[in-house]
Amino acid sequence: MRAAPVTATTTKRRAGIIAGAVALVTTITLAGCQAAEPEASGDPVEGGTLVYASGDAEPTCLDPHVGGNYPQALIAGQFLESLVSRDESGEIIPWLAESWEPADDQLAWEFTLREGIEFTDGTPLDAEAVKVNVEHLKDPATQSSTGYLAMGKVESVEVVSDRVARFVLSAPDSALLESLAQPWTAIQSPAGIARGMDANCQAPVGTGPFIVDEWVKQDHVSLVRNDDYASAPADAAHTGPAYLEGIEWRFVPDSSTRYAALQGGQVDVIDNPQPDTIAATEGDDAFTWIDAPRPGASNRIELNSGQAPFDDERVREAFIRAVAVNDGIDSLFFGTAERSYSPLSSVEPLAHSDETLFETDVDAANTLLDEAGWTERDSDGTRMKDGARLTLRFPVSTNQSIPAEQSLFEQVQATAKEAGFEVVISLLDLSSWYGALFAHEYEIVSAPYTKVGPDVLRILYHSDSITPAPSGYFANLAQLDDPEVDALLTGAASTSDPAERAALYEQAQQLILGGHYLLPLYDQQNSFLLSANLQGARAMPTVSTPSFSDAWLID
Amino acid sequence: MSELELRQTTIDAEVAHAPRRRARAARLPRAGTIVAGAFVLFLLAATIVPGLLETQDPNQISPGEAFESPSLAHWFGTDESGRDVYSRVVAGTGTSLLIGVTATFIGLALGLVLGVLAGFGGRVVDYGVNRLVEVLFAFPGLLLALLVIVVYGPGPVTATIAVGLSTAPGYARIIRGQFVAIRSSQYVEAARVLGHSRGRVIARHVLPNALIPIFVLATLGVGQAIVWAAALSYLGLGAQPPAAEWGAMLAAGRTYLSVAWWMTVFPGLMIVGTTISTTVLGRALARRGRGDA
Repeated sequence: MRAAPVTATTTKRRAGIIAGAVALVTTITLAGCQAAEPEASGDPVEGGTLVYASGDAEPTCLDPHVGGNYPQALIAGQFLESLVSRDESGEIIPWLAESWEPADDQLAWEFTLREGIEFTDGTPLDAEAVKVNVEHLKDPATQSSTGYLAMGKVESVEVVSDRVARFVLSAPDSALLESLAQPWTAIQSPAGIARGMDANCQAPVGTGPFIVDEWVKQDHVSLVRNDDYASAPADAAHTGPAYLEGIEWRFVPDSSTRYAALQGGQVDVIDNPQPDTIAATEGDDAFTWIDAPRPGASNRIELNSGQAPFDDERVREAFIRAVAVNDGIDSLFFGTAERSYSPLSSVEPLAHSDETLFETDVDAANTLLDEAGWTERDSDGTRMKDGARLTLRFPVSTNQSIPAEQSLFEQVQATAKEAGFEVVISLLDLSSWYGALFAHEYEIVSAPYTKVGPDVLRILYHSDSITPAPSGYFANLAQLDDPEVDALLTGAASTSDPAERAALYEQAQQLILGGHYLLPLYDQQNSFLLSANLQGARAMPTVSTPSFSDAWLID
Repeated sequence: MSELELRQTTIDAEVAHAPRRRARAARLPRAGTIVAGAFVLFLLAATIVPGLLETQDPNQISPGEAFESPSLAHWFGTDESGRDVYSRVVAGTGTSLLIGVTATFIGLALGLVLGVLAGFGGRVVDYGVNRLVEVLFAFPGLLLALLVIVVYGPGPVTATIAVGLSTAPGYARIIRGQFVAIRSSQYVEAARVLGHSRGRVIARHVLPNALIPIFVLATLGVGQAIVWAAALSYLGLGAQPPAAEWGAMLAAGRTYLSVAWWMTVFPGLMIVGTTISTTVLGRALARRGRGDA
């Protein structure tokens, strides 16, 4: 609704924009688009407020325990911290916990917390606080999805001493440390949680380098520096309080507006830059590009095998063989995205790829569909069987798909048509999109899922994930229900032998890819454009959210 | 569609009869009117036989030819999926015009009902209708349209109805004014004195005299309705992919404004051109209407 006045002016300004556009034509070189690692130059400078423009959906709750999506993680990383973190090489490193030790039977883990850390409300960080947080995540009233699933095997947390918390597990969990490294399982002040969901959503209290000061809905969140900050992760560039006085976290949904604000110097960082924007800033010293693909799942189209027509594997394979996406990815993403053939992100060391399963072959697709009985044709060329059309409903969340991706989906629609599929794309806002999924009104869908480590496969493809989490979301959108896959994923999550874990995950990925349940597209694109006067910012190696505790602004 | 044909007939009639009715040169169609008429003819052709004007299938993708600037092969260039922008602009004409004309028709029909009620329903009905129209006026038109879409879900049909509903109050007020003026005219008074019933007065005297100005109003309204429908599609609430619709094309092209200006400029020019030509024709008709009165 609030878009109405904007549109009116936009339409009126159209002529002006058009005139300006003609003058603004720029030539883009596609060659050599490489991510530049931001390099700090000179000594850090104290002071200044960083302005961040986010294109992700504005969270409805700033507490990432509630629900648990990526927009929440983006901002929560500024004021909440986790027990452990992950470094560039993928090793788990100390953060709020300085050490940890599993029991011999792998059914209990003891975490020793850092000494002398306080939440920004003065509550001490102790074992009791950890216990309260895990209980908060597991409480159905919290309506957690991501954190709830990540804590699936944690039965309880016992307070061993002030600084030692023991996690008691129902089964060995090889992904426990990875799960705890995520912003969705971050540790908050028990006193903050005790205020109730409404207050805690408005301003969660953590140990992080910044504190939530004010949240003006549909505009911005003001964050101020935590002057007592003393709990930087083990790989931080410096310890102690942040150099910046604060962050103004603005919500700017329109990508051209975000980029214009960055160019004009009103903001210092933007997320979700358009691929053509990234290509345009290539070689320009005024901007730095941080390319930080998200861990966990690749960006993929899931095929709903739980209902017709994709309950027939031949139809699934036909769809995957019919669509062509490689040329589209090249042209739409201006060389900033690479095609994936794996269910896992390329940043996951255990990702298994199989290109041979995804070669486009329309003839093979037609043969498969003929075999599956979809032999009749409608007047518009759509295949039919027993009077039913071969229609694939494709709900697309406009909050989660950038325009380039939506264009790619249109290309999927056009190429699938050649084999006789009718793909119906509906562009939906996030809540309508969830509504379509909850009602199973989809045959294909693209849903990001970010998690540290290959355990994301269990969340996405284990039959347990067909049952909705307390938030109502079921992560197994492919409705994959295969006891063999379940056994492999459960085994991989339970073993403490790294070699066995890798082997089990590889077999599971082979089965998932081989069963034609998904069409991998590319890594979950995640990048940031920084103005050159911002130094020392980085993307966290956990879930690639930005960190500004080591950042400073130069004039 | 009937509305369009009707308008076309009138244009033809105007051209054919103008010299006979008034010999003065000033009464000949102006150059602008002819250009506008030609543009509308092109739009009609694109609506009725798009296949003749398209140079290729508007939905045929060719990722290898994405973002090509205007050339002999692609007059208006290609879009992000390598589709021909010219062919898509032509293909979008039908959708845009249909939404514009149908929405105007809906708005006009509703406005006519409200206007007649207010103009001839007696003081109480007049008061009620006027207050209703004022309440509807309190909402910005596009907001009203968005409300309808929120309730009934996005899509071209909803967009059409939404635009129609939100233009109705404007028409209702003008039509009421028209009727009130005619109601107190001498010839209506004469008919009343002759003892004709109220229904007969409305049917024989008021409606025919009110129709021409309303018709002119509709011609002006089509342009506005097309802009509104484009605005709704621009927001993703009208036509759904891959349908070519001008507003949706603008929205898609906006993303690539710095790379491919032609994706935005040509659909934008079509919207501007359509609005201007229907307005020019509407004004020409209005001038005629005044001349005849």
